[in-house]
Amino acid sequence: MADMVNVTIDGNEVSVPKGTTVLEAAKTIGTEVPHYCYHPGMSSPAMCRLCLVEVEGAPKPMPGCVTTVMEGQVIHTQSDQALKNRRGVLEFYLVNHPLDCPICDMSGECNLQDYVHAEGREQGRGIEPKRVFGRDDFGGDVLFYGDRCVMCTRCVRFMSEVEQDHRLTVVERGNRSVIDTFFEEGLEGTHWHGNIVDICPVGALVSKDFLHKARAWDLAHTPSICDCSQGCNISLHTRDNLVQRIKPRENLDVNAWWLSDLCRMDYEWMNRGDRIEAPLDRSKGGSKVLGWKEALESILRATERSEGSVKAVASARASNEDLAAFKRLVKGLGGGEIVYRSPRIEKDIPLKGFPQLAVRRDRAPNTTGANIMGMIRVGDDSATGGLEDIAGHDGIVLVLGDALEDQPNTFGANAKLYVYVGQHESAATTSAHFVLPTTTKAEGEGTFTNYEGRVQRFWRALDPPGMARPAWLVLGALAAELGCGEVVRSAADSFAIMGVDAFAGITYADIGDRGTVINEIVLVTGV
Amino acid sequence: MSDIPFKNPGWAGNTGEFNLSEEEVRGEDFVGTRPVHGGHASGAGTMPYMLAKKDPDGALFEGEYRERLDKILSRYPTGQAALLPALGLCQEIRGYVSPESMDAVAEVLDLSPAYVRGVATFYTMYNKRPVGKHLVQVCTNISCNLAGADEVVDAFLTYTDTELGQTSEDGNFTVIEAECLAACGFPTCVQINSRYFENVTPAEVPKICEHLKSERE
Repeated sequence: MADMVNVTIDGNEVSVPKGTTVLEAAKTIGTEVPHYCYHPGMSSPAMCRLCLVEVEGAPKPMPGCVTTVMEGQVIHTQSDQALKNRRGVLEFYLVNHPLDCPICDMSGECNLQDYVHAEGREQGRGIEPKRVFGRDDFGGDVLFYGDRCVMCTRCVRFMSEVEQDHRLTVVERGNRSVIDTFFEEGLEGTHWHGNIVDICPVGALVSKDFLHKARAWDLAHTPSICDCSQGCNISLHTRDNLVQRIKPRENLDVNAWWLSDLCRMDYEWMNRGDRIEAPLDRSKGGSKVLGWKEALESILRATERSEGSVKAVASARASNEDLAAFKRLVKGLGGGEIVYRSPRIEKDIPLKGFPQLAVRRDRAPNTTGANIMGMIRVGDDSATGGLEDIAGHDGIVLVLGDALEDQPNTFGANAKLYVYVGQHESAATTSAHFVLPTTTKAEGEGTFTNYEGRVQRFWRALDPPGMARPAWLVLGALAAELGCGEVVRSAADSFAIMGVDAFAGITYADIGDRGTVINEIVLVTGV
Repeated sequence: MSDIPFKNPGWAGNTGEFNLSEEEVRGEDFVGTRPVHGGHASGAGTMPYMLAKKDPDGALFEGEYRERLDKILSRYPTGQAALLPALGLCQEIRGYVSPESMDAVAEVLDLSPAYVRGVATFYTMYNKRPVGKHLVQVCTNISCNLAGADEVVDAFLTYTDTELGQTSEDGNFTVIEAECLAACGFPTCVQINSRYFENVTPAEVPKICEHLKSERE
């Protein structure tokens, strides 16, 4: 146990470990001392002067982000003096701020707005003209509005301390200071620069991708998991049943506050409109729309008629629940090998200042889950090929999730029964006898297992199109009819009956929104 | 032992006595270009700014200048610490610190170019653009301002037919405003290259400029 220090903050006595800063100590009693330059993931230069608090006995206000608490200290964060300090500092911030909130993307989630609203002056006193910088393209996904900047230098410190590629700097001095790169160098070629948009406390750094796309207050936030095997915790920001952007969600065990640019931009696939919206029966030629009950019954009847071995293709983008239900179904049909394909990049791209986080080589969220369940990775690093003996198989062919975009329309043409379960049609689904629509990760609940065996939940952010249902529900019902597993009605129950040793004893409640490491550390490299 | 001939470390000549030669004001050893070898390491990057013919395309860290840089580096624990004198050396060679110079400095000191730019732009005594043969820095801080520094600035601009920061067509003058030159007892103070001109009035400005133009190279 670390040495504890007892201090009084705003009349509340708290005991915090030695070395805790005033700002962090205040957090423990639920008080947020306004601040810009301080960020828990980086050093504190104490330059924004906003977290000045009154410490009894100290001759002048102390910056809360770098002042460590001392035994018996009496600290006031909300006293008249502290409020007066902040009001004064905030007035200075507005001297050159353009107050263009109506057209600012940060509006609604801006710390300058919030603080001035809460503690600023009722009326400005400035009559002088404001200095004007205009905007600068930093390259990559980042636009810089110099006039909105409060010079907290979080972005400069992120690039130098966390990404460790010192591309940003403060140029000039005094009221001409501005954030810039080395002339035309820009941020291209860096893999984590999107984070400077997240940590910018005001609207100075904004995302080009999100520019004027939606207002912050119109967005619904849903916790989710990102699409590489790192399993970064993210938040899907949605409006009008579309994902508008992806933001990182704090989880110190996985990605801290950060998210790679590659993952940040990988959301348009969740907004695709060309979805399969109803169960289709093509076994008698044409394409007939069925109800779910009818569809499942037809498939069951077809399985009774169809002989031959089962060959199955799964997807590493499917959740643990989906894969387990798929596996139960294959078992119910007599068992057989399940393969999956997943894209890979050349090598991990680690974040130097937080090395347990990387853009992982495996660019699918659940390769570990698939490996645990004994599925075998086939195909190349762009997730193509590898299905030669399945394409012409003359028994039962089952496909879950993989859109088969590289396969010809003769895929499965020889099969006695070919059931395609997924989101999108392609040439290779032409020969399918049954096509069943399922949800994406944004449209349902479930879990992924990341590269280190951490199982993490995602939640439903979008309404699924048409009659699309989660695969665990559809496949689980079929498997139950074949005597494998039971019928379940929730993702949580589906997780509970997976019957995979690695997940035994873990419940959705254990996983929570932070994830939990599964029972065995598994080899994650796959094939 | 240092071989820097610090015979006459004084700066200002007597007020208004523009008939004094450089030799008389500073001693002979200070006239002309700065010794390229830079003398003792302690002075290698910090010698006074001299009237020197600048070559905007001069090679930065080669030959004797490479030795100068090594001398500078010998005085500091890290490349980062040696940044200011290294930039000073660039300015001495080329007359200003160009983006290319910043990049070159970043490379020899193993720093990021962006960081070097940040430092170079922070300090106003690094010229970020080429300047004339005579860099006229008029103090417009409080004492000089009270004594009419603004009129002195205007007089320089009128004589040279330039705007602030511009270089005159003949390449002789660049006029800029400066903050306090620490000569508050003798306002208005004007620093031209490394030389101080004190108690300058607008009427004297043409005389000063003519004198400078007539000076030998």
